[in-house]
Amino acid sequence: MHGTIPANPPSKPRRFALPLVLRLALRELRGGLKGFGVFLGCIALGVAAISGVSSISRSLTEGLGKEGRKILGGDVTFSLIHREAGEAERAFFVSQGRVSSMATMRAMAIAGEKGSGLVEVKAVDAAYPTVGDLVTEPAAPVADLLAERSGAFGAIVDSALLIRLDLKVGDRVTVGAATFEIRASLVSEPDKVAGGVGFGPRFLVSQDGLRATGLLQPGSLVRWTYRLQLPPERAGNADLERVAAAANAAFPEAGWEIRSRVNADPRFARNIERFSQFLTLVGLTALLVGGVGVANAVRGFVDRKRASIATLKSLGAPGGQVVALYLVQVLLIAVVGILIGLCVGAALPFLVAGLFGSLLPIPIAPTLAPAELALAALYGALTALAFAIAPLGRAHDVPVSGLFRDQVDPERRFPRGRYLGILTVSIAVLVTVAVAAAYDRRIATIFVGAAVFAFALLRVLAGGVMALAKRLPRPRRATPRLALANLHRPGALTPSLVLSLGLGITLLVTLAVVDANLTRTLTRTLPERAPSFFFLDIPNAEAARFDAHLQAIAPDAKIERVPMMRGRLVSLKGVPVGEIKASEQVAWVLDGDRGITYTEYLPEGSTVVAGQWWPENYNGKPLVSFEEKIAEGLGLKVGDDIVVNVLGRNITAMVASLRTVEWRTLGINFVMVFSPNTFAGAPHTHLATVTFPNGADGARDAAILRETAKAFPAVTSLRVKEALDAFNDIVAQLVMAIRGASSIALLASLLVLAGALAAGHRARLYDAVILKTLGATRARLLSAYALEYGALGLATAVFGLIAGTLSAWYIVTRVMNMGFSAELSGAVVAAALAVVVAIGLGLAGTWRILSQKPAPYLRNL
Amino acid sequence: MTDKAIALENLHLSLGRGPARVHILKGISLSIARGEAVGLVGPSGSGKSTLLMTMAGLERPDSGRVVVDGADIGRLDEDALARFRGRRIGIVFQSFHLVPTMTALENVALPLELAGAEDAFERAEAELAAVGLAGRLSHYPAQLSGGEQQRVAIARAIAPNPAILVADEPTGNLDETTGESIVDLLFALKRDRGSTLVLVTHDPTLAARCDRTLRLHLGHLESDAHSVAA
Repeated sequence: MHGTIPANPPSKPRRFALPLVLRLALRELRGGLKGFGVFLGCIALGVAAISGVSSISRSLTEGLGKEGRKILGGDVTFSLIHREAGEAERAFFVSQGRVSSMATMRAMAIAGEKGSGLVEVKAVDAAYPTVGDLVTEPAAPVADLLAERSGAFGAIVDSALLIRLDLKVGDRVTVGAATFEIRASLVSEPDKVAGGVGFGPRFLVSQDGLRATGLLQPGSLVRWTYRLQLPPERAGNADLERVAAAANAAFPEAGWEIRSRVNADPRFARNIERFSQFLTLVGLTALLVGGVGVANAVRGFVDRKRASIATLKSLGAPGGQVVALYLVQVLLIAVVGILIGLCVGAALPFLVAGLFGSLLPIPIAPTLAPAELALAALYGALTALAFAIAPLGRAHDVPVSGLFRDQVDPERRFPRGRYLGILTVSIAVLVTVAVAAAYDRRIATIFVGAAVFAFALLRVLAGGVMALAKRLPRPRRATPRLALANLHRPGALTPSLVLSLGLGITLLVTLAVVDANLTRTLTRTLPERAPSFFFLDIPNAEAARFDAHLQAIAPDAKIERVPMMRGRLVSLKGVPVGEIKASEQVAWVLDGDRGITYTEYLPEGSTVVAGQWWPENYNGKPLVSFEEKIAEGLGLKVGDDIVVNVLGRNITAMVASLRTVEWRTLGINFVMVFSPNTFAGAPHTHLATVTFPNGADGARDAAILRETAKAFPAVTSLRVKEALDAFNDIVAQLVMAIRGASSIALLASLLVLAGALAAGHRARLYDAVILKTLGATRARLLSAYALEYGALGLATAVFGLIAGTLSAWYIVTRVMNMGFSAELSGAVVAAALAVVVAIGLGLAGTWRILSQKPAPYLRNL
Repeated sequence: MTDKAIALENLHLSLGRGPARVHILKGISLSIARGEAVGLVGPSGSGKSTLLMTMAGLERPDSGRVVVDGADIGRLDEDALARFRGRRIGIVFQSFHLVPTMTALENVALPLELAGAEDAFERAEAELAAVGLAGRLSHYPAQLSGGEQQRVAIARAIAPNPAILVADEPTGNLDETTGESIVDLLFALKRDRGSTLVLVTHDPTLAARCDRTLRLHLGHLESDAHSVAA
């Protein structure tokens, strides 16, 4: 006789290595992953997007970190605006290690009749390049290429300048008062990134060459950078901090910006992080859209497994155990999807480095980023759990009686409280992780809110469509009647189709409208109102003569000129800026130096919103007027004191007023405007703008450039159109990246759509076979399905257009702070295309079904 | 312990909702002794399967009392009921309902594993040998004939040594010869283990092999006849 079953079974089987639920789950999984293609695809796609973005971002930051010494050209750098280091400062540098210096400034290179161009001058000393290699064409020692020979200094220039001014190696150009012979074109410079994005091509010369130009005047916008190479025995990370601290202690008023090799380009690193966080949110969208596919797949899975579920229950498995068993299976499949996604995501930086490494302007060090991969895996697992638990929970109440009699229409009940509890907890954790891990929590919170809102709204829309279809009078003709019935019958495709298509169209419309607004703002609005030229570095002594020159060559233009210098904020309300935690939107103000000006009168485009503008001939304590939003972000109010370092001098000024500024006119305006007495007697240059009432004119602009370069070689001319073009190029690259990431979300929604349609095909098959048996032609059936998909597509497209436009409006006005215009043509095309694709996909699958012969199916119906 | 395997008192049960609600069992009272073999017969829709499901704790009555193997199963919550079923009641279905992804051995071991038995696989192997399938342990349901599948299902039902064995048209999906051998097996096992057997059938020959035949009509117990042979 057999043994008996213990009255109280042990909670853990002692003999089997794996827990019962896991053992049974593995056995059940022998049936393969059939029906889980979309599930796997959705999870893998979302996880790949998130882990790919974060892995690439980490590899870029690692690249910056590893190559920090090369980018910086030393272990520690000190950069000064307007002035060279003094004797004592230089002595300090020498006492710490090997020093090399470099000066950078904007200037005009004039090539006689061939015209002139804005260049980014970099003047180096004999030690250059201190770290890494400078590659030139032809190759030669740097000192030889830059040396003075037969009345001309040497220059190594970016090939862009050669193309623009139709020059070749051996030609001569003038910069200021000096003549330069182009000795080589620049292929790559090791310290390019640290220089930031320039408006003009590089113009590499010796410091003697720069001095000969005569552009180094008091107040001119030159940046001197001193690069320190510490002796190997004193070059640890702690030494970097020690040197910086010693420098600040010895020269508290130096006003320099100190960077170290471990933090070579903090602004760039932060931008990478910020942008990757944004792309992570787009990846999360893909994952959430994919979640709908997960839910559909699990619902289908539970339906397919009804018999097995009921059998298990008939053999003594409680409902909770059955759910646990199937949950383990779903999570095991999710793990497969997550692993596929992680492999793709982790491989991406290596792929990017291998394929495009040499083309990237920044170093990339392909890295396996365990923390980032773990986060992506967590996102994947939480999404799978959140979307699977509700349909899985229904397994709890699958009746065993289904094994005895056919259940034509299994009752759809709300899942039990414990499963709703798990759902709530998993969503809460998902939201918390998404917000906590975000660089900008405000944006992440908005994203979460928008996602929840979109899901809820689409669910309501689907419910509305079904309710409407139910209440509409029954058409007399069979085709529309069938279509209408398909919209609202139990198990209709409406909810899943509306959700996947709706999210896809909303995303498409949002992108299209934001894109259109961005393009409009950059290409249409600005040039009409913006100046045509900026002129920098106008020497103070020549300011009046420059005004006369402009009036002579551009008599119908509006000319504005203001004094300009660069300064760094040192402290606000007595707190050093290093200790201030400013909000994300205004942190840039505290970074490095800012252009500042002084004026007697309130600048055009500004409105005082708090405090008072200073009176004429004011001569009291230095005063400053701040831009209102920035003051708010920095926590500044009228009456607060700030300290700013200008030309190596710390100046304390009191905030006298707050202004709102119309930035988009691109007119002259500054975050900080000081009262004239603040800088009385300080050397400075001027900044002028020329605005034509009728916008840009190529021939006229070229003439102005030429004439100004001839008469004022020291003045830098910046044509706004070229600057905007350069800016547009950067924006276009960002938009491409956003489109790339968003296309993954769209792919996910397409996958979900295809999955939902495929799941509906079983019911279609039944209909089609019965109707064909009764004499319906394929064309008639097809038109009924087209009508159904068309109605769904149309309702969803209208929703998508409205929701997408609203979210685009929010992004454009609240996140980008630009004016909004409902540019809907692209959006309508996008929405229409999406509907066509949806109908096409649906019908393609249905056509296959309609082509089947009824007999084999009738036997199994 | 009582000598009754099953006792039903004034059982009423309806299925469906609203206008579709149907009163299926209408005041049924009966008792079945331990070791008895009972056949439930009657036309389609008379309530045979529903009565069987109620005895197995798969349907809850609207009113009335169901006492199975001494336990008032109306008082058990769902999880307790599932565990009770797993140990005291073996069910044989018309469509076998084997888990397609599990081998014959694993299917038979399943209720033992769910009940926490440590020697589940050894016992399952012995049960399969007892139903003549010692050579089919690692076959999947799809690799077995209908008769073999039903033998596996019977082995699975009998494996936990249930006090009560219920069968819903156990030969309904089998040809005549195979059906007969299955019935022989079922009755032999019942006899050997001393289990109580309740089966639903349309087959008068099968009903005649039972100790007692209960005939249902429109939800009422129409007749309760003890077999002469018994």
